[in-house]
Amino acid sequence: MPDPTIAQSSTHDIVVSGQGVGKTFADGSVIALQDAHFNIKRGSFVSLVGPSGCGKSTLLRLISGLIPPTSGEIAVHGTPVTGPRADISMMFQKATLLDWRTAIENVLLPTEINGTPTKADKNRAFDLLKLVGLEDFAFSFPAQLSGGMQQRVALARLLQTGADILLLDEPFGALDEFTREHLNLELMRIVQEVGATAFFVTHNIAEAIFLADQVVVMTSRPGRMAKIVDVDLERPRPLSIQTSVEFNKLVEDVRETLGEM
Amino acid sequence: MHNKNSPATFWVFEFIFRVLPHLVLFAVLIWLWELAVGTGFITSIIIPRPSKIGGAIVELYITEGTIYRHFFITLTEAVVGFLIGATIAISLAVSSSLSETFKRYVIPYAIVLNVTPGIALTPVIIAWFGYGMGSKIALAAIISFFPIFVNTLTGLVQVDEDREELFQSLGATNYQVFRKFRVPAALPLMFAGLKIGLTTALIGAVVAEFAQATDGVGVLMSRFSFQLNMAASLATLMSMTTIGLILFYTMEFLDDRIVFWRRENRRAAASRARARAWKNQL
Ligand SMILES: Nc1ncnc2c1ncn2[C@@H]1O[C@H](COP(=O)(O)OP(=O)(O)OP(=O)(O)O)[C@@H](O)[C@H]1O
Ligand SMILES: [Mg+2]
Repeated sequence: MPDPTIAQSSTHDIVVSGQGVGKTFADGSVIALQDAHFNIKRGSFVSLVGPSGCGKSTLLRLISGLIPPTSGEIAVHGTPVTGPRADISMMFQKATLLDWRTAIENVLLPTEINGTPTKADKNRAFDLLKLVGLEDFAFSFPAQLSGGMQQRVALARLLQTGADILLLDEPFGALDEFTREHLNLELMRIVQEVGATAFFVTHNIAEAIFLADQVVVMTSRPGRMAKIVDVDLERPRPLSIQTSVEFNKLVEDVRETLGEM
Repeated sequence: MHNKNSPATFWVFEFIFRVLPHLVLFAVLIWLWELAVGTGFITSIIIPRPSKIGGAIVELYITEGTIYRHFFITLTEAVVGFLIGATIAISLAVSSSLSETFKRYVIPYAIVLNVTPGIALTPVIIAWFGYGMGSKIALAAIISFFPIFVNTLTGLVQVDEDREELFQSLGATNYQVFRKFRVPAALPLMFAGLKIGLTTALIGAVVAEFAQATDGVGVLMSRFSFQLNMAASLATLMSMTTIGLILFYTMEFLDDRIVFWRRENRRAAASRARARAWKNQL
């Protein structure tokens, strides 16, 4: 039995927790996620890896409140999630920008949905575009931007929500490796800067470890959380850390769990 | 040496290589036509010489100027009919996109209206609305309805799960999804429908005039034809073409401005305009 005082101080730090979370589709014939338990601390960067169809997207959509769990419960800041909420924001694999809005107008969309944007909101949107390196493209339309630039606009829009829990479903998956690596570094820096808690889905094990404080390894049929690997590598992390012994031990650990070795 | 960047040189080249060939071809065709009628290859009662049509044009449009009254009447009929048809079509399309039940009840009528040749309604419409502009407007409205309705509805009910999920995750209300996403996303298709609708509205107005009317280019043209004055009849036809062109290019212009994000040059202009507006309000 854990010491009750310690338990209390740690529950205070937990932002997202799941107890026996399960999700089935098609009247129970497809088990997308089974019996997931997790407690995520404030400010953690959590990577999710696993084969296609193991329920990664389903887990993010459950946390975001877009779909309800079939069993168990997800709580954010101690209250159960029943629908979309302001402190959670999601970014999708595709940029999903609106073609008729300029980059900055796209970034302002979340603010517009909550009311009329103030001058401060607009300045913040511009600062966020600066943060993702697009201040020169603030008034460009999506069709005038490259795929990587569109994803960066989507990232700025995600941050404009002011949410402190960020759900990122393979946000840079459609991009070339060079752009992806660059955006990953920016993402890591930005998430730390704003002190957010992030869930990051990827197919790339090295990427998952490089970015994360914790790697959730998932297996399929039925989708479950097989293991949570803690990554105790010091930050800031240079790209060269990926050749270190500790790093490769973690890669092996994740691989073994996935049953690829 | 030519400086290809200078505007004057540019327009000279533009004229020689792009406009001149069209003018030459047109002149040759007219000349062949003139020749065919002149040599008796075609009877001039059926098809008049271009020079005779030219004479009729001068008479109708310049010396007597009789065409203009009719021109504006037909133009008004087509435009008013189109506006009525478009208003009804868009209202019903919006309602149908919002309510599945409403759509189920409206669609059968829309389909029946579509498969019935709208032009065949002409005698009935004239009996109901009289010989004046009313019947022309009504027919224009009826036959412009369907293309606008179908295109607008198709645009509004397009499925885009990713963006719908985005709005949902941002906690948007149904009204916000409609206004900020569904309507703009439907605009390109809606404009495609409006362009077809405007063209068919002109057809409606003219056909109704052919059937029974006192004013309008349609009635003017059928009068000339009865008198076997083919030159004047074809000169009148030219005014219908002009109305058609005016309507078509008005729609093109609006489409270009409103659905600006599909065209490279319009996007660039809109982008500059928004940057300016932004700087002014801050
Ligand atoms: N809306 C749905 N209806 C029916 N089945 C679904 C639905 N969404 C997901 N599933 C099923 O749930 C399982 C998990 O899907 P999910 O999208 O979460 O996988 P994933 O881990 O994100 O895969 P990928 O890496 O390919 O994106 C799959 O078998 C999928 O077919
Ligand atoms: Mg997925």
